[in-house]
Amino acid sequence: MFGLEISKVTKAFGAHLAVDDVSLSIPQGEFVCFLGPSGCGKTTLMRMIAGLESPGEGSIALNGRDITRQPANVRKFGMVFQSLALFPHLSVGENVAFSLRLQGQDARQRKARVDELLTLVRLPGMEKRAVSQLSGGQRQRVAIARALAQEPPVFLLDEPFSALDAKLREEMQIELRLLQKRLQITTILVTHDQREAMSMADSIAVMGDGKIQQYGSPLSIYRAPANTFVANFIGLSNLLPVEVLDHETVRFGANILKVAPMSQPATASLATLSIRPEDIQLTAANGAGDNTVSGRITFIRDMGSSVEVHLDCDGRDVLSVVQPRDWMGAGTGDIAHLRLPRNQCRVLAA
Amino acid sequence: MTDLAVPLRAKDTEPRSRDQVVLAGLLSLPTLFLIVLCLIPLFLLVQLSFAHREDGGLWRAGLELTQYRQLLNPQFLKVALFSFTLALTTAVISVALAFPVAYFISRMKRRAQITWLVGLLSTLSLSEVLIVFSFQVLLSGGGGLVKALVALGIMDSVHSLYPNFAAVMVCLVYLVLPYIILFLYPAMSQLDDDIPAAATTMGASPARAFLTVVAPMVKGPLLSAGLLVVIFTVGSYLTPLVLGRPQQWTVGILISNGAMTTGNLPLAAAQAVALVALMVGLLGLVRLLTRAGSPAS
Repeated sequence: MFGLEISKVTKAFGAHLAVDDVSLSIPQGEFVCFLGPSGCGKTTLMRMIAGLESPGEGSIALNGRDITRQPANVRKFGMVFQSLALFPHLSVGENVAFSLRLQGQDARQRKARVDELLTLVRLPGMEKRAVSQLSGGQRQRVAIARALAQEPPVFLLDEPFSALDAKLREEMQIELRLLQKRLQITTILVTHDQREAMSMADSIAVMGDGKIQQYGSPLSIYRAPANTFVANFIGLSNLLPVEVLDHETVRFGANILKVAPMSQPATASLATLSIRPEDIQLTAANGAGDNTVSGRITFIRDMGSSVEVHLDCDGRDVLSVVQPRDWMGAGTGDIAHLRLPRNQCRVLAA
Repeated sequence: MTDLAVPLRAKDTEPRSRDQVVLAGLLSLPTLFLIVLCLIPLFLLVQLSFAHREDGGLWRAGLELTQYRQLLNPQFLKVALFSFTLALTTAVISVALAFPVAYFISRMKRRAQITWLVGLLSTLSLSEVLIVFSFQVLLSGGGGLVKALVALGIMDSVHSLYPNFAAVMVCLVYLVLPYIILFLYPAMSQLDDDIPAAATTMGASPARAFLTVVAPMVKGPLLSAGLLVVIFTVGSYLTPLVLGRPQQWTVGILISNGAMTTGNLPLAAAQAVALVALMVGLLGLVRLLTRAGSPAS
């Protein structure tokens, strides 16, 4: 296969299983995010891909060739570290040219490549500067240019934007995505920020407890979370305890609800129904029809661009986010009806 | 001083003057100590070095260069050169040993780090006299070490391992090693592990990453540590006296002999002043080197 193939990779540190039986195929040129909370094993998995850690079990292959035992300095996957790890005793140009010098390029070749890369990351003419003279965003770009200098087969970024303020972070995200599209380089970005992952990646691998909980396009993961972990981690979800009646019917309290068909329904078992706040439609009218539950409004937060309404349904807090033009204008304590569109109601494993 | 002056200047006038009074108060005692215990003796020493020598270990105040001219005597220069070589060799060996030790200690778990540091600190409680005479026993023909080496076939026959240059060297390294490890430890703790890792992802072998990235980054602390060893050992007295032959005697022993045996106090003072001047010159040189090595900021 053309691309990166990770098969059944496991890594333990003492008794702690950091990465647990992970398999993943990343096609050539794709941008993938490893998304998960801290301690979920995403950085360890990335370090194994870079060759900085060796897997306890499993294998890693690049373009069909096994590289599991290949050391990092032979793999030469460009990596941007969370700390950036710029060499403080070298200038910007010397940092970028580090890999070129190792390759034995002469001064003229190196200068040409450094100029090209610094122009690419919008830092032209900065090669003489000391790293300590740069701003946070400029250092970030130097780290990116340095990792790209060797034309790596795979480009790895470990939470590269975590130290930047919100505005600069968004700018850098857009810049990186444009750069990646231009260079068509297989890229993996580790992040705990779901907005970052949603806005940049072709595919997201949501990680939790050392495992890949779900792998797919940002939208498919958002629309159809595979389990409660993913539903909780990606965006906001209402998670309601239900009893499964058949493959498309569940009971929530006294209400019978139709849901998106389940592939393997365990009838009469307890399960979790997930629905996104923006998918719930609120109406004041009685008997609003199918798939409706009623609830008492406990809290309203008008954000201007949307209205967040918390309701108490059968003792459960349910959040609905509505557009201002759809907002019926009820007050706290009023009874409202929540219509749960059938195809947006997903029953999750555990 | 300059570091303190910046935040002080930023404040209002009143707290600033109060802070300065507190600061002056805090600094007055160490300053007084420095003047009484360091500068005054040094002044007396310099004064003595220009004095006129009289018979019977006596001297008369004066302004003569007789003693300084005697410093050019080849015998003294030879001993001075040897002292310096000994100090430099000790510095190179002890820094080369302490550097990896400090690095690995800084990479251990917190508890193991504390155990090591406490262990190193506790060895500092042993007096130099005790250590030097222990080495004398250890390296003697009757000592356990020699017998063990003979039993293992590493040595042919039972004979004493001192006095010689190696014995002096080993003991000096032993004496300074804990200081140097403790001196290097903070710098090693601050070293970001990602930096050598970044170098390897760019194609540098671990050895190359160490030489091209880690070593230049810790060049300053290593040079300072080496300088510290040179200062410690260039005036060493007891170790070469006990574990060395007269060929391994240092300026320290020469000064002591000059003052105690020959009774030429002005000459001994001039030799001591020369030693101090050499050290100050060395300090300046290292400062220049470390400053030139760091990137402009």
